[in-house]
Amino acid sequence: MTLKKTLARNHDMLLKKWFRATIETYPPQAARILGKDADRFDNPVGSVTRETLEQVLHLLASDYTGETLEKALDPVIRIRAVQAFSAAEAVSFIFFLKKIGETVMDAAHAREFDRMVDQVVLAGFNRFMKCREDIFLLKATESKRRIHAAFERAGLVKELKEEDLLGSKKS
Amino acid sequence: MADELTPDELLDKIDYGTDSGNWLDTTKSVQIRPGMYCYAAKPESVETLSLPNARSWNPTEEDWKLPDNWQQIIHEGIKERLERFRTFKIFMDVCVRCGACADKCHFFLGTGDPKNMPVLRAELLRSIYRNDFTTAGKILQNIPGGQRLGGNRPLTLDALKEMWYYFFQCTECRRCSVFCPYGIDTAEITIMARELFNLLGLNIDWIATPVSNCYTTGNHLGIQPHAFKDMLEFFVEDIEDITGVDCTPNFQKKGADILFITPSGDVFADPGTYTCQGYLILFQYLKEKYGLDVTWSTYASEGGNFGFFTSHETMKRLNAKMYYEAKRLGVKWILGGECGHMWRVIHQYMDTMNGPADFLEVPVNPITGTKFHNAASTKMVHITEFTADLIKHNKLELDKSRNANRILTFHDSCNPARGMGLLDEPRYVINNVCDNFYEMPPNTIRENTFCCGSGAGLNAGENMELRMAGALPRATALKHVHEKYGVNTLGTICAIDRAALSTLCEYWVPEVEVAGIHELVGNALILPGEKERTEDLRMEPLPGCEEEE
Repeated sequence: MTLKKTLARNHDMLLKKWFRATIETYPPQAARILGKDADRFDNPVGSVTRETLEQVLHLLASDYTGETLEKALDPVIRIRAVQAFSAAEAVSFIFFLKKIGETVMDAAHAREFDRMVDQVVLAGFNRFMKCREDIFLLKATESKRRIHAAFERAGLVKELKEEDLLGSKKS
Repeated sequence: MADELTPDELLDKIDYGTDSGNWLDTTKSVQIRPGMYCYAAKPESVETLSLPNARSWNPTEEDWKLPDNWQQIIHEGIKERLERFRTFKIFMDVCVRCGACADKCHFFLGTGDPKNMPVLRAELLRSIYRNDFTTAGKILQNIPGGQRLGGNRPLTLDALKEMWYYFFQCTECRRCSVFCPYGIDTAEITIMARELFNLLGLNIDWIATPVSNCYTTGNHLGIQPHAFKDMLEFFVEDIEDITGVDCTPNFQKKGADILFITPSGDVFADPGTYTCQGYLILFQYLKEKYGLDVTWSTYASEGGNFGFFTSHETMKRLNAKMYYEAKRLGVKWILGGECGHMWRVIHQYMDTMNGPADFLEVPVNPITGTKFHNAASTKMVHITEFTADLIKHNKLELDKSRNANRILTFHDSCNPARGMGLLDEPRYVINNVCDNFYEMPPNTIRENTFCCGSGAGLNAGENMELRMAGALPRATALKHVHEKYGVNTLGTICAIDRAALSTLCEYWVPEVEVAGIHELVGNALILPGEKERTEDLRMEPLPGCEEEE
């Protein structure tokens, strides 16, 4: 059986274990609640995490590129990028997949699977940096964009134009 | 009966495992994490209001420069408030820690930090209360293991720092109180905690400086009267370019019918500025058609009240100026703009704080004859109530097609929704100025609305991670309607929301932009004598007027 077929066949088990391990990166009192299978609007962290991991597993079992992985990882990384995780902790959940995968993987596929997970980690790290840059940009430009822009339109200030300030985002 | 559990089966389901840690002990390790806290109040802002212990300090440094007797100050502060506020006393005693509120807080749901569960956040203060003010607590603290048994702890410096950190991670939105079987209003616990912090000079600057500005210049941003007037005159020019009609407002006009007060954010910050233009258009229409005389004031130039996030006394001082101005100008009643916490202050505090405003008349809409009995004592009406009443009586000529490019959803701002029950009026106005309106899921709107994550003075820049984490539940619902119905505009009736939700959208749902409801009214309202409009208030082409490429 090919690696992709193994992944597809074990999808439900992999998702369940990976989700559990990821939610357990939160403090135990919180993990109990976030791990519940609740309405996505009552438990956004739990439901977005589950959906994202599922999407990544689907990609791994079919075709993927660095870009599609990054896009699929975005929702969960975007959340973890604003929570109390260090950079390493924020993406560490992806490595859990290696250990979980070992239980169903033939020895012949183990190295290939490891390399696959490494690619997911790299995509996750890229996305984490992008989210952090978004946050820094919001910090740097929020008040200028709201208040400075209004003053600028009224001709009450003559400094850098709003578009000059935001040039870095557009480029 | 067969499907009921037997006692043994029920007991089998109980998890006897103990928690790995005791939260009472974790105060030793409280980490004040960058991105989650707001900078300390500047001493000059604290001095303006003669509040205690004005000095430079930094929350991340070991020494918070507290007075030597700080424990005594807090102890006496708690005692005084327990005697003065029955609610506080009840809320300290009555919680049974059922946990119904635990997963209802946007900050808990977004951060995953257990101390942001409303019950646990409140326990930070309750544990001190139990230790120092209850008989059981006093007995238990002398028995080995007694403190843990009673859930009490002494007021140490670490406990104070931890309380400070977490009570500035609450936006006083009151969603948790909707689910509390005892009706505990956790916002009031936060309000009391912040009052106590202010006794030691522990305010944050995003609250203290706006309060100081408001006290000295009349608005949170510290804009001088001439600049306030300049901004409105600039809007008048823009409106004239768009509509061909001069909407010049009155300032400080004695004997006007109505005094209009809105948050200064509407005058000075995008996208509130477009909402402000909507007000100007509405008042011009009413003046032209029905002779209604509305005045603005550069003295009472702030509807918001950050005093509410400081102390009851500070809130009272800032609220008073609106009523002094109404009295000085001799208006009949006050009309208030689209604002959030301003309405909780008016609706729930003003009457016993500075009221009753018996020098004003019970508000009557002179155009429709509607008497606003809900404002019989405060004499202050919310503009969406006023506009909804005008629309209901067919007093406004509206062209919905000018908002046809807007696919709208509505964010209920916490204070108007939960604080005063203003749920249907904004929706009524929206449905009369826009055809494409879709609600977010029921567990995220109306009384159950999720906070923007930046209210109660937390809309600073330095705590962006906290704000974005707190915004997650709202963003999840918004993203859902964006993907399902193509929603591209988030309507709201709060100035903080207009600023905070814009940033929320940039991070979580960048395809959506934020608009005030009176911006949409301003677009749709057909002014007497207007030219054919080709642009909306943002000076973007109206639907059907786009240039062909």
